Amino acid sequence: MKEIVRNLTRRKLRSFLTISGIVIGILALTTMGALANNFNALLDGGARYYAGYVPVADANSNGVTGGAVLPLSKQSELEAVPGVAHVFPTITVAAKPGALNVVNFGLPDFIASYDPAENQYSGLKTTFATGGDVTGDGQVVLGSSFAREFHKKVGDTIVLPVKPADAQPDFVQHTYSVAGILNATLTEPDTGAYVTLADAQQLFKEQLPVALQANFDASKYAAGFDVYGTPGTNLDQLADRINAEVSGVKAQKPSKIVAALLAGGALFTEITTAAALLALIIGGLAVINTMIMAVSERVREIGLKKALGATTGAVMREFVLESSFIGLLGGLVGFGLGALVAVAVNASLASTQGSIFLITPGLAVLCVAFALFLGTVAGIIPAFRASRLDPVTALRAQ
Amino acid sequence: MIEISNLTKHYRQGKSGVVRALDGVTLSIEQGEFVAVVGRSGSGKTTMLDSLGLLLKPTAGVIAIDGVDTVRLKDNRRAQLRSEKVGFIFQEYNLLPTMTALENVMLPLRYARKAKGDRQWAQTLLGEVGLAGRMHHRPDQLSGGEQQRVAIARSLVNWPSLVLADEPTGAVDTETSDQLAAIMRRMNVQHGVTFVIVTHDMDLAAKTDRVIRLKDGKVLSDETTAPPFGVPAKSKISWGDHEVAV
Repeated sequence: MKEIVRNLTRRKLRSFLTISGIVIGILALTTMGALANNFNALLDGGARYYAGYVPVADANSNGVTGGAVLPLSKQSELEAVPGVAHVFPTITVAAKPGALNVVNFGLPDFIASYDPAENQYSGLKTTFATGGDVTGDGQVVLGSSFAREFHKKVGDTIVLPVKPADAQPDFVQHTYSVAGILNATLTEPDTGAYVTLADAQQLFKEQLPVALQANFDASKYAAGFDVYGTPGTNLDQLADRINAEVSGVKAQKPSKIVAALLAGGALFTEITTAAALLALIIGGLAVINTMIMAVSERVREIGLKKALGATTGAVMREFVLESSFIGLLGGLVGFGLGALVAVAVNASLASTQGSIFLITPGLAVLCVAFALFLGTVAGIIPAFRASRLDPVTALRAQ
Repeated sequence: MIEISNLTKHYRQGKSGVVRALDGVTLSIEQGEFVAVVGRSGSGKTTMLDSLGLLLKPTAGVIAIDGVDTVRLKDNRRAQLRSEKVGFIFQEYNLLPTMTALENVMLPLRYARKAKGDRQWAQTLLGEVGLAGRMHHRPDQLSGGEQQRVAIARSLVNWPSLVLADEPTGAVDTETSDQLAAIMRRMNVQHGVTFVIVTHDMDLAAKTDRVIRLKDGKVLSDETTAPPFGVPAKSKISWGDHEVAV
C-alpha cells in the first residue's frame, strides 16, 4: 500500500488528473443515482398505493385526474357493485395555487381530503411521527416534507393555501391547527396536507372562478372516489365492473397505473446507466493512460523485480492493485463529493419542494464498487504489458 | 555447484545473420568461489551473466545450479529459483527510488515463496555494508557508493548461494571501487556465497580468486589466482566497524 501511494505521488499532477477523471464520473453516477433513487422511491410508493384500490373519477377523465366533479351520491352506487368493500370520496387541491412546477423532480405540495379509516385499506400505510389523526374541521395532518418546509410541529397553526405573490384581493386562506405529522414515506404523502372532506370541499370551491362559486354547493361533490375491493377481488376486473354498472364515471385499472409509473422509472434507470457509462469512459481511459505511462516509466523497475524473483503474476498483480487503488480513491472522493452535492441541494430545496436526491447505502456501495471495478479492469491491459516485459531488455532500458 | 555445459546463445541479426554471443561455453564454479568474468565488449560476458541468472534462455546447453538443470524450467519456476538462489548487483544499482535503503534490501523477500531472510537480517546486512545509520534514506539521499552497498545487501538478503554482479564498480570512483570490492569479498568469505563478477575493471578482477576470460563467446582462459577461502591479505580497508582484507 505504501509503495502504491509513493508511486502515485511520484507524478502528482498526473495522478491528480487521473483520479479527477474518476471523481467526475463517480460524481455524475452518484448524483444521477441519487436522483433516480428519489424518483424510483416516489414511483415505488405510488405503485404500492395505486395497486391497492380502484380510482374512480368523472367519465371524461382518465380515471385519476381531469374531468368534472362527481356527486357524492355516486358513493352508494359504487358500494353496490359486487366486490366493493369501501368507497372513500376524495378531493385534492393545490397547496400553492398559481405556483409554476415546470421542472420538478418531486411532487408539488397539495391539500387533500383525508378519512383516517382509509389508511387501514391502503396499500401504502402511513404512520405518525408525532400527533395523530384529524378529529374535526380546522385541523390538518402534514406530510413529513410539508411540515419541514413550513417548519411546523404538532400544535402549531398553518395558513393554507399558500397565497401567491400576485393573488387577487379575494384570495381566501384558512388557519388550521396541526394535529399530526406523518413519518416520511419517500412518496406522495410526504408533500401533502390532509384535512377533513368538508374542509377540502370548501377549499375546492374557493379555487373555482368566482362566478361559479355562488351556485355551487361543494358539500355535495367530490373530485373522485377511492374504491377498495373485498379480500381476493381482482381490482382490474372490479374496475371493469364499475365502468359497466355505474354511469358517468371512469374507473381506472390499477395495473395500468402501476405500469405507467414503472415506465417512468425506467427513464431514470437509463439516465443512471448513461452516467455510469460516462464514468466508465472518462475514468477508464484516464486510468489506462496513466498506467500505460507508469509501465513505460518503470520498465527498469519491472526488470529489476523480475530479476529479484517476481513472477509474471506478481508483476501483474502489483500494477492491477495500483490501478484498483486509483479507482477506489476516485470512487470514494467522487461519491463523497456527490453525497455532499446531494445533501447541499436537498437542504437548499427544503423550503420549496423537499428532497430531490436520495443517497442510500446501496448507492454508496454501487458507486465505490463500480469505481474499484473500473480501476481494476482498466489496469489489466497495462499490467499485462508490464508482466510480459523481457527482464533482460527491461533491466537495461534507458 | 554451477555446472555449465556447452552453453550456447545465438541471436538473429538482420535477415540471415547470426550473432554467437556464447558459443559452447563449458565450465564449473564451486560453492564459495569469488570469480571474475572479463573480456571485451561483445565477448559474451553479460549474456553469460544473464544466462546464469536465469534471465535468458540459452539456445543450447545446460546450466545446472545445485544439481537442477534450469534450461527447461518454465518462467515462473525460473523466477522462483532466482528468488531462492540468486542475488543480483547491477552497474546502475537499480534501487527503487520511492523506497528507503531498508525497503530496497527487503524487496527480494516480497517475491520469495519461501523467504529465508527477514527485516532483522536486512538491517544486519545494511550494518555489515556500513549503512546502519542510513537505513531509512532513499536512494536520492545516498551517494553512488552507498547505493551500490545497498544493492550488495539486497543481493544477499534471501541467503542466495550465488551472487551475480554486472560491472558493480563501473559507476564509482577508484576508492569507492576498492571499498565495494572489499565488501563483496567479505560477504563471500563470511557467508560462503559464490560471487560471479562481470567486469572491465582489471583491478577488481585481480582481487578475485579466478578470472575467466571470454572472447567471441568462448572461454579464452580460465585462471585461478588464489585458492577459494584462502585470500592472501594484500591490503586492508576499514569500513565502518570492519577491517577487511582485499
